[in-house]
Amino acid sequence: MADRLLFTKTGRARYISHLDLMRTFQRAFARAKIPIKHTEGFNPHPFVSIALPLSVGYSSQCEILEFGLLEGTSHEEVPERLTAAMPEGIVVHQCYPAERKLKELCYVNYIMNFDYPEGRPQESEPAMEELLGRDSLVVRKKSNKAKAGFTEVDLIPLIRSRRIECQSDTMTVDLVVSAQNPGLNPELIRNAFCAQYPEYTPDFVTFHRREVLDGEGKPFR
Amino acid sequence: MNRTLEHVLSRVQKPARYTGGEYNAVVKDKSEVSVRFALCFPDTYEIGMSNLGCRILYGVMNERSDIWCERCFAPWGDMEEEMRQEGLLLYGLESGDPIAEFDMIGFSLGYEMAYTNVLNMLDLAGLELRSDDRRELTPLVVAGGTCCYNPEPLAPFVDLFVLGEGEEVTLEYIDLYQQAKEEGWSKEEFLLEAAKIEGIYVPSLYEPVYRPDGTLEEVRALEGAPELVTKRIVQDFDKAYFPVKTIVPSTEIVHDRVMLELFRGCIRGCRFCQAGYAYRPVRSRSPELLARYGKEACEDSGYQEMTLSSLSSTDYPDLLPLCDDLLDYCAPRDIGLSLPSLRADTFSMSLMERLQRVRRGGLTFAPEAGTQRLRDAINKNLREEDLITSCRTAFAGGWSGVKLYFMLGLPTETDEDVLGIADLARKVYFTWREYSPNKARGVRITVSTSWFVPKPHTAFQWEGQIPVEEYQRRVNLLRDALKRDKSITYNWHDPQTSYLEAILSRGDRRLADVLEWVWEHGGKMDSWTEYFDYQRWLDGLAACGLDGDFYAHRERPKDEIFPWCRLSTGVNHSFLWHERELCYQSTTTPDCRTRCSGCGANKLLEGGRTCG
Repeated sequence: MADRLLFTKTGRARYISHLDLMRTFQRAFARAKIPIKHTEGFNPHPFVSIALPLSVGYSSQCEILEFGLLEGTSHEEVPERLTAAMPEGIVVHQCYPAERKLKELCYVNYIMNFDYPEGRPQESEPAMEELLGRDSLVVRKKSNKAKAGFTEVDLIPLIRSRRIECQSDTMTVDLVVSAQNPGLNPELIRNAFCAQYPEYTPDFVTFHRREVLDGEGKPFR
Repeated sequence: MNRTLEHVLSRVQKPARYTGGEYNAVVKDKSEVSVRFALCFPDTYEIGMSNLGCRILYGVMNERSDIWCERCFAPWGDMEEEMRQEGLLLYGLESGDPIAEFDMIGFSLGYEMAYTNVLNMLDLAGLELRSDDRRELTPLVVAGGTCCYNPEPLAPFVDLFVLGEGEEVTLEYIDLYQQAKEEGWSKEEFLLEAAKIEGIYVPSLYEPVYRPDGTLEEVRALEGAPELVTKRIVQDFDKAYFPVKTIVPSTEIVHDRVMLELFRGCIRGCRFCQAGYAYRPVRSRSPELLARYGKEACEDSGYQEMTLSSLSSTDYPDLLPLCDDLLDYCAPRDIGLSLPSLRADTFSMSLMERLQRVRRGGLTFAPEAGTQRLRDAINKNLREEDLITSCRTAFAGGWSGVKLYFMLGLPTETDEDVLGIADLARKVYFTWREYSPNKARGVRITVSTSWFVPKPHTAFQWEGQIPVEEYQRRVNLLRDALKRDKSITYNWHDPQTSYLEAILSRGDRRLADVLEWVWEHGGKMDSWTEYFDYQRWLDGLAACGLDGDFYAHRERPKDEIFPWCRLSTGVNHSFLWHERELCYQSTTTPDCRTRCSGCGANKLLEGGRTCG
């Protein structure tokens, strides 16, 4: 089976898009002189694949990249050498042989921070509780496949658990949501909240991916 | 990263352009440097990061521990709107600090249609546009690049221009600036002293005097200003800085690869080509050094592509051994090697085989003119037989597409020359029919024409650009001639920007008002169709009482005083006039290796040695 990396993507690197990030890894492997497997075919290139694409602007401490380490480099030496070859904000923490299939990655834990620098409205917390506690929350989602340009999706069944914590100027929503087939982008929750409770629209929302989980809720690696 | 920027970035397209933090971006402690320099490219990140000159200057400056050079690009419209709304000033990508706080702001000027972006960036930085209105020494606004061979339209906005290659002179004026800052000189004192450095043109020290008909009576050098400013060159190209360690963008740019500069200058002497005259004399880098730089740059960057760059790469004497050397490195690593700027007469089987070993790109030749007579007149010393032989080589080797570039409106051009383009394209097509091993794939022959823009410091600097109606007529003539050829695609350049380029490239200082008017009325990113508005420029010219045709279409007499008469590329004025006369006799001038034509540029070399 393939090899995997666990890495964080924070700071300025948050703005590197999914495709650009793959290119960045391909080059970083070359810079670090870590030989990796290439694709076959007419135009061979270093093979890398990112388990779960991350939206531009989100930070993450649990990104997983698949690749194939060629002989001559040990797993242990990869994190340090690769990190040294990375742009600011990407740190590789682990490199290991994959032992489980990617489809066992079922859930993602996101931390959403709703910022209210002028002071958080008291009612924003019960409003969020109400929204996420509904039986059903159908929203429109952009889709390139659908003829209309959007599809409808019910967010509630895709949420596995939630916890809301509030301070005087922030509301933190700790969410565990479905990762794939279909996955839930927490931006839809932000959008739904702002649409349902425009009076509690925050100044800004940050998104952080804290952990990827398997079906039992344990960290997936 | 500051909070406002973070918010803004979540709302704009391709935010990675605005963050910095790329691999090899240079971050220093600002309290430990004495000069902060904002290297500004007046176009998008993707274009500006592809500019080799900027990468060189970035490296040259940052090698010095007392200088911190950061990058700055023109934001796209969505970003600009956000910045203006949030009060976010234009900032250096490395530190995120507003460039208005820097010591120097330097623009790279490569094409005229970026001029409005210079104004827009100064405004976004929160600075006054005009040099006169920026009273303090700091920040100093400087500019370099090919457009500076006639910088007059930008003269009122820029404190000093650098002529020629910036590797050495940049550090010289920074040193002077450091002295000025320590000793508390005024801006005027500094500029007067800077004007004594060879290659530096301080526009405020020159005063154009116009005649009633709008032509120049003289460009008066004020007290202390040199009579003539001659461009700077790097004497020994083997000792010149090469950016081995260079920034690897985290988002895709236009030229996203290792760029290996083979030589500066060009031996050919095409009479229309500003670069061909302005970059003289030819100075090559040794093949051993190039091979080493190429490999080191690939290792350091992780790039999977390398390109050889120069004005005419097949004129590099050791091209084949260099390609072999590089391919030994590239091929086993799947690194692609590409070679733009090929001349059609020197494209050989052996070169083709080398380029094919890794990856095959398109093939582009620029015959520039359709008949031998006109090619001789413009001194594009390319024979039809050679072009056809090169195409035969390419088609036989399995290429199935060729792009051919031409110009319409060259001096002495007749309808016969225009139709000659169609004939030549057809001959290329027949060559394909005869020699292609695999005709089932079909062939794509693309003919592109642009509207000739006469440039300063060339043999054609006295020429008028043909009127737009005439250009359009010649386009139609050629289009009709090619109508039945299904395998030949004809593209022609839209005339509007070429007209404005013709105005600005040989324009005088009065055009500064037009630039400012156009900018005030929303002009920016004029090289992008999304933003370009031709009418705005025509309105600007009218509002300032200037006639575009005067600049673009007027043929200048021999004794015309040019706006750039105080600037020298090292090539003699008399040589250029003689070259123009040879054009009208359709007589060629041999290339610099065959015989020195005595243009004068070799005097730029220490000891006046011959070049080539």
